[in-house]
Amino acid sequence: MFKKFNIWYTSSFIISFIVAIPILTVFTSFFEDTSNYFEILKQTFLAEYIFNSFILLIGVLLLTFIIGTGCAYLVSFYQFPGVNFFKWALILSFAVPPYIYAYSLTAFFENYGTAFTILKHLFGEANYNSSIPKFDGMFGAILSLSFSLFSYVYILTRASFYYQSQSLIDLGKNLGFSKTKSFFSIILPSARPAIVAGLSLVAMETLSDFGAVSFFGINTLTTGIYNAWTGFDDLAFANQLSFYLLIFILAIFILENYSRKKARYHSQTKGGFKQKEKTKLNKSNSFWAFAACFVVLFFSFIFPLSQMLYWTIIFPKNFFDLKIFDLFTNTIYLVLLSSSALIIFSFITNYGNRVSRSKLLNILTTFSISGYAIPGVILAVAFITFIAWFDNTVISFFELKSIKKLFIGSILGLVLVYFIRFYSLACNGIKSGYEKINRSIDESAYLIGYSKLKTFLNIHVSYLRNSILLIGMLISLEVVRELPITLILRPFNFETFATTAYIYASQDLLEAAAVPSLCLIMIASFFILLTSKYILRDNSE
Amino acid sequence: MKRLSILSILFAFISSFALAAEVNVFSARHYDSDIQLYEKFTAATGIKVNVVSGKDKALQKRITEEDADCVGDLYITADAGRLGAFQAKGMLQRAGWSKAIKDSVSNNFRSAQWVGIAKRARIMYYSPERVSANDLNGMTYEGLSDPKWKGRVVIRKHNNIYNQSLVASLIKNNGKTATATWAKGVVANMARDSKGNDRAQILAVAAGEADIAVANTYYYALMLSGKKGAEQQAAAKKVMPFFPNQQDRGTHMNISGAGMLKHSPNKANAVKLVEFLLTKEAQEHIVNNTFEYPMIAGVSPNALVPGADLSFKQDLKTSVKSYGTKQADAIEMMKAAGWK
Ligand SMILES: [Fe+2]
Repeated sequence: MFKKFNIWYTSSFIISFIVAIPILTVFTSFFEDTSNYFEILKQTFLAEYIFNSFILLIGVLLLTFIIGTGCAYLVSFYQFPGVNFFKWALILSFAVPPYIYAYSLTAFFENYGTAFTILKHLFGEANYNSSIPKFDGMFGAILSLSFSLFSYVYILTRASFYYQSQSLIDLGKNLGFSKTKSFFSIILPSARPAIVAGLSLVAMETLSDFGAVSFFGINTLTTGIYNAWTGFDDLAFANQLSFYLLIFILAIFILENYSRKKARYHSQTKGGFKQKEKTKLNKSNSFWAFAACFVVLFFSFIFPLSQMLYWTIIFPKNFFDLKIFDLFTNTIYLVLLSSSALIIFSFITNYGNRVSRSKLLNILTTFSISGYAIPGVILAVAFITFIAWFDNTVISFFELKSIKKLFIGSILGLVLVYFIRFYSLACNGIKSGYEKINRSIDESAYLIGYSKLKTFLNIHVSYLRNSILLIGMLISLEVVRELPITLILRPFNFETFATTAYIYASQDLLEAAAVPSLCLIMIASFFILLTSKYILRDNSE
Repeated sequence: MKRLSILSILFAFISSFALAAEVNVFSARHYDSDIQLYEKFTAATGIKVNVVSGKDKALQKRITEEDADCVGDLYITADAGRLGAFQAKGMLQRAGWSKAIKDSVSNNFRSAQWVGIAKRARIMYYSPERVSANDLNGMTYEGLSDPKWKGRVVIRKHNNIYNQSLVASLIKNNGKTATATWAKGVVANMARDSKGNDRAQILAVAAGEADIAVANTYYYALMLSGKKGAEQQAAAKKVMPFFPNQQDRGTHMNISGAGMLKHSPNKANAVKLVEFLLTKEAQEHIVNNTFEYPMIAGVSPNALVPGADLSFKQDLKTSVKSYGTKQADAIEMMKAAGWK
């Protein structure tokens, strides 16, 4: 019996193992010890990094919670002009990565920036600089991350509000609760698991952010690890920092799991998916609801888009100098390669899990999806470290040809690390689709003489077509926005929109970064438009 | 089978051909103008230039980890401090710079492993409205710690390489104890916690947030050129550049440079590329695009750059090699002084 599952078992074992490698590298290097640069200052650095990461996290969680649940509440429970537009338009903020948001903030609010120009044109020559607020440093980083990430909370909370039963809402009415009281004591608590899930995604992204925080010069655990690792060759310190970062991440995991367990009780009380009646708002309240949604849409999407557009228009030379076609093909090439690899291999592991029902494999799969929790920048460096180690020990022991060139600075290596980073996204997506296919369908397929392969191709794949589409889009979105991995591992003469934007920005050529940023936002928006139908699915299946 | 072998021969031919006529550049200096220069070089010599660009540390890490398999020939970056620190890690080799290179670059701006391709100075910018000629009389970097500048100074963070090299040069000249005290004095004089890039420091003086700023020369020219927009052009005109330490060792100089990587597979081509970058044609291209000072004699800087007539006294006494060797001390000193 066991033999039959061998192919599936082995292949999914290998995939899970590959994905787990850099994570293992991070852990094993705990025992290594290297340079002792700045021994005395390390404790100061450490305290600073932890403090900054903590403040950043708290700030972003608070803001994304308010914006995300606020918008979700308005579009789910009320009827006002534009509500159907805002429902999907609000997820466009996904198209603006935090680092591009950071460029826009700086460009607009800096001394003699865009805000200054606008004021000058409106009110004439004067020194407005001192009256223009400066959104930089920690505050700038918090804003950039929040406006770019609140969609996670918005999407998940909105879905949860949608399925909230009418009876729950009626309960509030019957108890004579005010709208506010209903919101805080009934609606919000019952959506808690979704909110926590959204917030934990936000937390993960915040802790792993590299572009925005390094742009604002904030030293967090992630940039600290990167600096210790690359700058001082101080693995020991890098690992000490990784350890603290993992504590943060673990705490988030535990909280999320805890809230999901509690959620089981809540789902018991669900009373079917009867379409809720949205409250129709009167004129003035309609206006406020509209204004609130518009302000969020404006700051999260229209503002960075316009700033980049403005720069592209006033510095048209940058537009003509940029090899847009090359950047576009490179970006799309990476998107296609990584999304097809991810989807194919997540299928294999999920199918392997399904047919073998092995405990070990299950554990390994769980472990391998933690790649999403490890910041991309650390994943990339860990990957290089691992390949170098493997090459220096195993490969040179057998006197084989070095494999470094094959993996470092190659498309293969790049896609492999994307694979590790986004595997959880793909694997979980396919898994949740798979869970909807009853196992009895497999059994009947075997009964009528279908082979495993035929069952897989003819039944599973066609059943999951929608999931595949959705996951493909989400991966594409991530790959288009991805920065640190691409930056570290890309081959010679190979740039994407993201790397071009970042490199211009780091050379103090923000206005030249505008064109690639704009292209990136447009491609990402396109993917979002294609997926929004699935992300915002309202019909219960 | 036959087709396969033909293909593989073809492939081997192409790759050996490519190997014979290429040079691989890891560049932390990603200017479009640099790329244009490389294209000119290829047109002139037939040697293809492959570039991977990125942030300095990431490139260094990749070179270090790839080690003997790294196909990079040249590591091009701004700041001698970076080249020096990378050399200290043993990642550069003696380049065997040709006579042409040695003749055109003074000993002060090169080592056996790396060589400057353009120069810049780190100078001061002041508000003529709020800073008198008397204030600036005999002004030095050392003078930035004078209490008379309390609440008036802006300068970047401690983790910025330009500052690290500046402080390294002060350690080299004045010693550790004096520089540690100096760093505390500067921090006490700051108009705000350090933030932003070099341009932001100049803009802060223009906007009235501070009276005196420290920034590299080419940023000022960049603003004056209008490439940063009309507002910044106007703002730049509100501040004046000032070259410190004219009465003693001269103004702090730094370079953009190229280092020969330890395992360079195309060393001869790499030397050729550096030679090309030091020709009159290439130098003229550089000075008019990045607004740096030329490395060789006989080329004039762009007219917008402060000190375009090169009449100011450059610090040629302090070798830029010390920026790498004193870097760790410099970071420690600034950090200890509470320099953000
Ligand atoms: Fe610079």
